[in-house]
Amino acid sequence: MDFLQTTLTSFIALIPVTLAQSLILGFVVAGIMIPFRMLSFPDLTSEGAFPLGGCVCGVALAAGLSPVTSIGLALLFGFIAGCCTAFIHLRFRIHTLLAGILVMTMLYSVNLRIMGRSNLSVFGSTTIFDWVPFAQPGFPVAKIVVVGAISLLVFLLLNFFFTTEKGTAVRAVGANPAMAEAQGINVWAATIGGVGLAGGFSALSGALMVQSQGFADVNMGLGILINGLAALMIGEAIVGKKTVWRQLLAPFAGAIVYYQLVSLCLAAGMPPPDLKLATGAFVLLMLALPTLRGAGGRQAAAARESFRE
Amino acid sequence: MLEIRAARKTFYRGQPDEKVALNGLDLTLATGEFAVVIGSNGAGKSSMLNAVSGSLALDSGSIVINGDDITAMPVHKRAARIARVFQDPMLGTAASMTVAENMLLADLRSRRRTLRPGLNAKRLSTYRERLSILGLGLEDRLDTRVELLSGGQRQSLSLIMAVGGSPDLLLLDEHTAALDPRTADIVMSATVRAVEALKLTTLMVTHNMQHAVDYGHRVVMLDSGHVHLEIGGDEKADITVSDLIGHFATKTDRMLLAS
Repeated sequence: MDFLQTTLTSFIALIPVTLAQSLILGFVVAGIMIPFRMLSFPDLTSEGAFPLGGCVCGVALAAGLSPVTSIGLALLFGFIAGCCTAFIHLRFRIHTLLAGILVMTMLYSVNLRIMGRSNLSVFGSTTIFDWVPFAQPGFPVAKIVVVGAISLLVFLLLNFFFTTEKGTAVRAVGANPAMAEAQGINVWAATIGGVGLAGGFSALSGALMVQSQGFADVNMGLGILINGLAALMIGEAIVGKKTVWRQLLAPFAGAIVYYQLVSLCLAAGMPPPDLKLATGAFVLLMLALPTLRGAGGRQAAAARESFRE
Repeated sequence: MLEIRAARKTFYRGQPDEKVALNGLDLTLATGEFAVVIGSNGAGKSSMLNAVSGSLALDSGSIVINGDDITAMPVHKRAARIARVFQDPMLGTAASMTVAENMLLADLRSRRRTLRPGLNAKRLSTYRERLSILGLGLEDRLDTRVELLSGGQRQSLSLIMAVGGSPDLLLLDEHTAALDPRTADIVMSATVRAVEALKLTTLMVTHNMQHAVDYGHRVVMLDSGHVHLEIGGDEKADITVSDLIGHFATKTDRMLLAS
């Protein structure tokens, strides 16, 4: 009883902080979902694009640029990183996962070069969270309001885009590239643009994280991909993925639920070093579930096998 | 009008398994003409269709549609002029998207895609009307994802998608071969009705000799990468399946079964 009491108390105390963090990480989950679900392009670039966005934003803030400009720069760099991955896959016919690993590995050096050292404090710089009028600076409410508003805006924009004529064409590339091409859709442009957009979202997430935590670190992306995947799986389990808006809502909803779950585990006294093992086991279970259900789950298994090749 | 001029394509050039797929192939198809292409396996039928659609780059020769040389154009640019129905029903449609979305994609084949919402009431009613021609009930299933349709329904949808925008050229790549006989008849008769109604310039590849006899203005027989025989006009009207088979250099079991 005592254990439950302390667990619950510390969990509840952590809810606002965790919520702010999970809203920020919702963008990286969106950056994982778009290539994976919309373009059938399982991608690992986010693991490099997330710290890239952080590093770019950190350096820009340190150089005295405005927080919005810093985020804009991060978006641009992330977009370029995503484009590189897509180009490597299309031009040299390298498997998407391998192309992502190549870009992610190279980005580590790029990130170090951009910052000139392995971490950079931007504590004291103005951030977009300082602009919320009614909350004290640094308090999670400001972060929740700002990032929540951006999340909502991004979700609405994505939901609009993917049902337009152009957006439908992009989804067709993911559904059947040969058919898309035969219907006059430029598969290269759609793939590069889509994966680039996803890289931009991952970098946006990194930039917001740097502004939130007050420092940039080249290792800040470590394990972000597997966390993002876990969040995506949870989101899809909760809101589904059969329609466009559900598929787009899944990463944001999934991030919120997933990080609360992590917080709950930590509050219950789980040692932080075990967290990655637990997350990995969870993602494995979610991916394996369709085959474990036997013949009835065959079709679902086929839909997911691109990540198991 | 379609012109294929001296098309050549060799696979694995200089290697022991070198294969000449197209060996100086010449073919002209007048506007509104419906030609049926036959020939044994490896005669170059698929290579010819792929060269026309753009998914196969020629070693030499040219492809001309309505006077414009499109030899160097990528597939997605040619799509504004050419529509294609594949043999495999899975290839011609986007399985995870709805019937309406697939119709939309085909509708935009020759148009610039904008940032306006794709599906609207006007388009949906047009699609409903077009699909009702088939009599398969697809018009009431616009929101159904295509993966839930049967092979025959998917192929019928592919056909409606292909003929929708009155393309300059319609390519039919053994499009009834993967269907059961009854469904194949439905798809084939829908094809003929559309081609006649819209006066489409059509190139249909088939292994079914009866189809070659029954449909089209002209039969084109390919052999080892070039046109072996062309039969048109009155001669085409009088031809029988056994006449056609007699012209094959090598008779295959499949052809005898089809006869």
